[in-house]
Order: sequence, then C-alpha cells, then structure tokens
Amino acid sequence: MDITFILTNALVVACIYGLVAVAISITWSSLGLINLAYGFVFSFAGYGAWLVSGLTGGNPLMVAAAGILVGALGGIIICLVVFIPLHDKPNFTIRGMTGTLAISLVGSQVLLWQFGPRAKPLPELFGFWKVSLGDIVLTSDKIGIVACSILMLAVVLVWMKSSRRGLEIRAMMMNPHAASIVGIGIRSTGLYVMAITGAMAGLASILLSQTYYIAPFSGLTPLIKGVSIALCGGLGSVQGAVIAAVILGFVEALTSRFLGGQYVLITQFLVIITILIIRPRGISGLLDKAREQ
Amino acid sequence: MSEILNISGLSAGYGPLRVIHDLDLVIRKGERVGLVGLNGHGKTTLFYAIAGLTGWQRGSIMFDGRQIGRTRSQGPGRYTHKIVRLGLAIMPQGDEIFTGLTVEEHLDSGAFTRESWRNRARRKEEVLDLFHPLRKHLKTPVGRLSGGERRMVSIGRGLMAEAKLYLADEPSLGLAPKIGIAVMQALLKIDLRESAMMIAEQNVALLEGRVDRVIGMHAGKLKGEASVALNIGRAE
Amino acid sequence: MMDTIQGQITGEPYVWRNPLAVWDSKGGNHEVLTVRVPNPNSIWRENTAYKAKTYKVGRLKHYVIWPANGERLWQRWRWWPTRRNLLHIKGQYNRKTLKAEKEIIDRRPIYWAICLLALVLAPMFFPVGLENTLLTAGVIFGVFAAINVCWTLIVGTASIFSLATYAVVGVAAFITSYMSIKLGLPWWCLPPIGAAIGLAFGAIIALPALRLDGFYYALLTLGLNELCRVYFTTSKEFGAASGGLYGADSFISNAWSPYAQSLVSYYSAFGLLVAALFLFRFTSGKRIGRILKMAPEKREAFAQATGVDYRRARVTIFLLTSVALGLIGGFYTALYRGVAFSIFGFDTVLLGLAMLTIGGIGKAEGAVAGTLIVVVLDKVLIELGPIRHIIIGGIMMTVVLFLNNGLYGMKRQFWAWRDKKRGEWRSTRTEKGGEALPEEATETDNKDLLYFRRFDKNQRDYLRGFICNEIIEEHKAKPLGQHSEALERVLLYFRRAPMDDKYAIHRLGPNGLYRIIAVAGRRGISPRVVEDKEYGTIEEAYHGVFMRRVHDLLES
Repeated sequence: MDITFILTNALVVACIYGLVAVAISITWSSLGLINLAYGFVFSFAGYGAWLVSGLTGGNPLMVAAAGILVGALGGIIICLVVFIPLHDKPNFTIRGMTGTLAISLVGSQVLLWQFGPRAKPLPELFGFWKVSLGDIVLTSDKIGIVACSILMLAVVLVWMKSSRRGLEIRAMMMNPHAASIVGIGIRSTGLYVMAITGAMAGLASILLSQTYYIAPFSGLTPLIKGVSIALCGGLGSVQGAVIAAVILGFVEALTSRFLGGQYVLITQFLVIITILIIRPRGISGLLDKAREQ
Repeated sequence: MSEILNISGLSAGYGPLRVIHDLDLVIRKGERVGLVGLNGHGKTTLFYAIAGLTGWQRGSIMFDGRQIGRTRSQGPGRYTHKIVRLGLAIMPQGDEIFTGLTVEEHLDSGAFTRESWRNRARRKEEVLDLFHPLRKHLKTPVGRLSGGERRMVSIGRGLMAEAKLYLADEPSLGLAPKIGIAVMQALLKIDLRESAMMIAEQNVALLEGRVDRVIGMHAGKLKGEASVALNIGRAE
Repeated sequence: MMDTIQGQITGEPYVWRNPLAVWDSKGGNHEVLTVRVPNPNSIWRENTAYKAKTYKVGRLKHYVIWPANGERLWQRWRWWPTRRNLLHIKGQYNRKTLKAEKEIIDRRPIYWAICLLALVLAPMFFPVGLENTLLTAGVIFGVFAAINVCWTLIVGTASIFSLATYAVVGVAAFITSYMSIKLGLPWWCLPPIGAAIGLAFGAIIALPALRLDGFYYALLTLGLNELCRVYFTTSKEFGAASGGLYGADSFISNAWSPYAQSLVSYYSAFGLLVAALFLFRFTSGKRIGRILKMAPEKREAFAQATGVDYRRARVTIFLLTSVALGLIGGFYTALYRGVAFSIFGFDTVLLGLAMLTIGGIGKAEGAVAGTLIVVVLDKVLIELGPIRHIIIGGIMMTVVLFLNNGLYGMKRQFWAWRDKKRGEWRSTRTEKGGEALPEEATETDNKDLLYFRRFDKNQRDYLRGFICNEIIEEHKAKPLGQHSEALERVLLYFRRAPMDDKYAIHRLGPNGLYRIIAVAGRRGISPRVVEDKEYGTIEEAYHGVFMRRVHDLLES
C-alpha cells in the first residue's frame, strides 16, 4: 500500500474521531459529566440524516444539517434526562456516567427496534472528484471530511472564545460556584454545551457514514476511539485532544502499514497507556484543582 | 417605592445549624450600609441567604418588589443565577475567581445580564478607572495576579453588573492593610445613583463615618439599634 | 416623656416615695419618678408558650429481642473451632421490666442464610414446563453473580473503577478453552490455569491503575475491553468464524439425562457464587477491607498521613480478585464447554454495570440482588423480545436518578434525608427563647446550665422591658441606698453577674480620679481597663458602671 494513501487516511480518521474526542472533552470539563452516550448520539444522528435523505432525495446540505441538528437534539435529550436532574446530587460523576450508559443501552435498543438490524447507507455528500497534487491523489470525500471537521472545530472554538455563551461555558469550566454567583445558570448552560457537543458528534457521524454504514450499534467504535483520544490528550483540553487525535491517527496508519490491521488497537493502547503512565492527566490535561468534585 | 431590599423574619442555616435567626432588615435606594460583626456571626450567611446559596432558609426577602426568599431546603444555588439576573451583584469572600480567564474576560463575565452586556465597554472603563493597577494586566490570566489584584478583579467583576444592590463580603480580608484600605476606599467612592450597597466588614474603623448606616451583627441577629435610640453606652 | 425601648412598660410613670425616708434614709432618694414593674411571670409565660406546630421526634429501634433467662443470657452460638459468634447478639436487662433479654444487633447473616437456602431448594419448586429455562437462568445467575461480587470488590472496596472485569473472565475462558481443545487438558485443570492467566492479565492492567485515578482508569479499561473483543474476534486461532470457541472438556457428562446435566450445572454455579461471597467476606470484612475503608477516594492523602498504605492494599485486592475472575473464567469454560465472543461485548459490560448499580456498588447483597433482577428480566422473560433491554435500561436510569447508591443504599439515603429534614425543622423551631441551639442542648450533659440560660434569658427580656430614662435618672441622682422597685430589680440582676468580666472601679492613687475596669475572673490575670474616661467622684463612677451594664443588657 502507498504510504501517502495511508497517511491521508489517518488524517481523515483523526479528524472524525478528534471531533468526538473534543466533544467528550468539552462536556467533561464544563459539566463534569463523562458522557458515554455519544455512541447513541452518533447512531441517532445518522438515522435522522438517513430519514431526511429519504425525504429530500439526498440533498447533501439538507442531510448534513439534519445530522447536525439531530445530534444536537440527542445531546439535549441527554442533558434533560441525566445532567439536569443529577448535577447537584451526591456521587454525581459516577451516577452521571452510569446514567449516560443507561441512555445508550435504551437508545440503541430503541433504534434497533425501530429501524431493524440492517445497516443503512447515506448518500455521498461531496460528490465524486479528485485532486492530484504531484503523485498524491486526494478524493473528494477525504477533502470534504477534513475541511468539514476542521471548520466545525474552528467554529466551535471561535464561538467559545468570543461569544457571551462561550465565555459562560469557559467560566463554568473554571469555577461552577463562582459562575452561579455572576448569574450563569448551570442548567441552561448545560443545555448549550450538550447541544453543541451533540452537534459535533452528529457531524462526525455524517462524515463517518461516508465510509461506513449506519447501524444501531455503529456508534460504539467512534465512542471508544473518541474516549481514548480524549483520555490521551487529557480530559478537558481541546488542544490536547487535537494532538492526541493526530498521534493516534498516525500510529494507526503506521501499524496497519507495517504490522497489519489486527494490531492497530493493540499498538494504539500501548501508546495510550505509555502516555498515561508518563503523564497521568494526559498530554495537556487540566490540573487537579480545575475540576474536583 | 424606595425600598430595594426588605427582609422580614428571615432564618437561614446549613443542615441542623441555624445561623440567622428571625432577621428583619430594610435597605433603601442610594444607601450604603455597613454590616459589622465578628467571624461566624452570620454576615456571609446573610449575603448567601439573599443570593439563595444557604442550605435552607425561611422567611420573606423582597428584592425590588419581587419575592426572592422562598422557603426552600433543596440544592443551594438552584435559583442564584435568577436572583443575580434580577439585579444583584455579589462580591464574594475569598477568591471566587476563574483562574484561567484573563482580567478582561473576567470583567466581562461580571456583566452576563443582558443589559449590562451591551454597556460592558463603558462599565469596564469605569471599573478600570477605579482600580487602575488592573489596566496593565488586562490580558493576563487572573491566576497569575497577586492577592490584592485578584480581590480587585473580583470586586470589579461585581461592579460590572448594572445591579440594584451590591453585596461586598469583607473586601479587605486577607489583604495587606494598605491595599485593604485602598480597596475599601474605592468601594466607598462609587457613585451609587439608584442602587444600594452593603459592605460586610470586621473592622468598624474602616467604615465609621463613611457609610450611611452601620448595623452590627451578633449571633445571627442584628444589633445596635437599641443603643442608638437611647444614645447610651457611648463615650460622650 | 415615656421613652420606652420595647414598649413593654405597663402603666404610667408614678412617683415613688422611699419608705425609709421618714427615718431620713442615708444617701437614698426620698421621692422619685419611676415606672410600674410588670408581673415577672408575664414574660416567662410569653417566651415559653409554644406557638409552632410540633412533630414527634425520636426513632424506633427495630431490633429483634428474644427473652432469655439466667445463664442463657450469655450463651452464644459459635463457629465450632473458633470463638467467633454466629450472630452479633447483645445480652441485656430490659430497662423497664428488668427482664433478661437478648438483642440481635446484626440480622444480615440470618437473611443471607434464608436466601441461600431458598436458592438451594429452588429447583424443587420450579414449575414443570419452565424447569429448563429456569435452571439455565439459574446457572447464568450463579456465574454472573459471582463475577459481579468480585467486580463490586474492585469497584467498591478497592475504589478502582475498572470496566475490564468481563475482559479478564473472557481472556481466561478463551485461553483455557483453547488449551483444552488443543492440548486436551482435563476439566479440573482449567480453573487453576484460568486463575494463573487472571493473575497475569490482572497484573498487566493493574499497572496503569497505580498512576491513574477514577475516571481516567474507567475509560481506559473500557477501551481495553474493546481491544480484547476486537483481538479475539479477528484472530484465527480463537475461531473467528464460529462466534465462539467450543469443544473444551467439561465435568458434566453428555451421557447424563438433560435434567441431571442442568441440575449439576445449577448447583456448581451456586457453589461458585458461595465461594465468591466467601472471598468478599474475607477481604472486604477483614483487615485489608478496613484499611481501604480508611482511604476512600479523594481522601487518600489523609489515609496516607495516618500510615495506611492504600495503594498496596488496593493492588492486593485487585490481584486477588483477578485471580478469582480468572478462576471463574476457567470454570466457565468447564461448565459450558467453551465461551462465546459476547462476553467481551459492550452490552455485557452495560448489563453488568446495570446489575451493579441497581443493587448498589460496594455491597455483596447489592451485586447479588442486582444480578437476580437483571437475569430474571433478561433470561426468564425471553418472550418480551427487545423490550427487555429497554426495561433494564429504564430500571438502571430510575435507580441512578433517584438513589444515591442503588437499592441497598436506600435505607441510608432515607435516614440521611430524614435527619436533614428533622434538623431543619428543629432549627426553625427554636423559638423557646433561642438561648441554646437544639443540637447544643442535646449534647450538653449539664442540663442545669440549659435551664439557667433559659431563666437568664427570660430575666433579661423582663428587665429590658423597663429600662427607661426615669430609672436612669433615678440612679444618676443617688446610686446608693433604697431605690424604687424597677431600679432595685435591675440592680439586683446586675449584682448577681458572674465574676469574669465584671466591672469594678479603680481609683488612681489615694486622692486620684476613678476609672472603670473589668476583672478577669481568674487568678493571676490582671483586670483590664474598659474605657479611657475618668470620673471625678465615686458616685459618677458608680453611675458609669451602671450605664455600661445597661448597655450590655440592651445589647445582649
């Protein structure tokens, strides 16, 4: 296999999983919630997009918008069911995590029940064209995926940096008690955070469905990958997640090039465990004080 | 209607501990009130009760004509943001700051209510005039500032809001006396216009003569009115 | 002219004549304007009247009490060779009737015995058509309950939030079945080999646990679980095509009747569960468990400061449990003649976590009860179809939303809630004067002190009611001698004050001025000067002291 082909593949995969990882990271650092229901949000958004593509005849913009909106809806559902009732209760972290797991258990069963076990394809969003740079050939879906995910990430980061809501979210990351003193409602901000991160997961789902099909349990692998990347980059750190996504993407690419596809997870986990043993809070994780509940 | 705050029959505490006992208090527009008392006599708890941050509370708190003191025993801080949005600015004791935000973002964060957000540039100028040492640190993360500067940031954050009532909880606590006095003087210099301000302080000397009223607080009750009425027990 | 403070003075001021005036009382007033004194009972009645709604307080003790007599009071059942008691029993005499009786403090062993006995006898009562389903479910229940008891030991006792428990079992099961098929190992070799594999695998995954805390570790182990699933399902050696690895040796002979086979597997799974419970009892309930109870999550630093090596204890438990899990894996192979890939599935982890959370993490009874609920829903009510998992997820969600720590944490949660409410009610009802907070009152041994405080408070309220300018004027005119009733009552109260911080008058030199000081009330500590003011005559100084005391009275 061609090394550039593998590297571009790695970059594409890193972009998609990086989106999920950043979503997990933001949720954890601002709400203190470890959301393991992104797998469900992933499939949920995929099915939403599939329904819309059936209705509109596969208009790419509509499909992408549907995926993002349904993902945001999934995030809001999780927020309403788990975060809002639990956020001021004892043992919130464990209970919140278990609650999101319960949602993913129920949710994927409902999807299975509703849509059946057969996988569903999504239409090609980016058409069929190619760009040749010297001897590197980039297909449309690769360019589209990379561009879309970077755009989404940039939009989210700029929004967090400059808008009032973004400032609220960042303030809540630092000190939830002081945040309530300056008039930030924890619950309403939680809704925004979950909607945004759900939208990111929704977009990741649409992008991934360019290569894979949508199935009730198809969200599991992206969730695990996203969690691993977020863990490796340090929970709560966006740039850490981006770095970790790139590192793990290249590890995946190199492993499948030199060792073979079945060793990908093993080498990835060896890398993750090594990084975590050296830096227990990930590549650029928050310090202990930032969020201890 | 000139009353900003009208507290009657307020009791508040944490779990089995009752800190405030049947307290009545009225604060009018344009008033600057000093609240004096030793540690552990309920000054902070009174502020927290107004903001809805105590474990439980009973009694009525009318804030600008609206009832904000619900009889409530669950979740401290559940309604705090709503009360704050009604026009309450709290400058809490200690450093309740967001370590990662810069000074400028920090001051912005004080103006989360919709009206204040629009005027935040003007308010920021006013606050920076008041605390001019902050001007050169605008882009520094607050975590790197010194204690006095942090306190200025946290007080400045409270002043950013166009509030009807400002609550300053021991603004000079833990600061070097000189800086403490400077911070206090900055607080006393502010033109209150339509709003009112309450300053909790252990050191009466810092407040005496510069505020409209000094109320003592002892074991969860207000005191000091009786001696004022008869004018006894004071050195003539 | 009536300058009242609290509006309690009854009647108009009147002129009081000194009865001693006819004998020309020395120093006292002859005629002075004063106020009438209200009845001292009135304030007392008003303060002690109880206006708030009252609730019953106190709690019932639901201890089982047996009658006993004579030497039977001290008779105990013991585990035979040791002196350990079977039941935690206290012998006592009834406080009212003075009869001898025995109180069972801890009834859990009784419940455990009843429940385990029920499990032993259950196959006899299975309805005829359902025998097969129920026995199969019973086997699954036994195995999973054993796994979950070990898991709760890791998560609850050792506070290592590991989600790789099923991965350990699965790895041990897969390797042992592979060895049994390829090398033809007999069934009794499998559990010990499984245990060795469990130890090795546990040691590998315990390594990051030393560095990572809480959720980092949980997420990492979730990934490890997925890693195992992918590795085993894709590798050719472990039968990637057939959905599992089957054909290992088993202790259940195929020659037996199907019912006998089911029965043997049921009782062997039950034996496994009992063994797991013993492991739980002898780690969590013994020294190592105590050590770990001293070092719960987030308070490790404190435990370390008191000399507890919690890391070592945690890793010990983790390794012990890994051995047990590996053993269960080997047993699993020997029971089912192999193992399916579904043991690594995310759904298995989810269902296992559902079992733990429904029962309550950290308690053996929680793990067993949660497993029972989930297994009954999942394996017995099979005709419900996919709704089963939705129901399980719903139960899990409900438990997580409303219970702090599962079903077996309900009692404690209710108590905590009740105590909180009770504390709040009590503290809002301290209107009996507020002389002592209710918690303080229940904790002081000297109840006289409480009564004195109440008396003193009422006395002060009473006296405060008639402090007015008239009596101040009266005292100013003549500090000594006979006074009107109002002033006399006030002065009597002042004189009775305790010595610490009592005011005194100090003369500066034989012909000097007077100053007010306060005595320290303790030997060896000199009095302190109260104010800078100096008085010309002793009468002025007397009046100064009086005014200070009035001030203190009004402020208190």
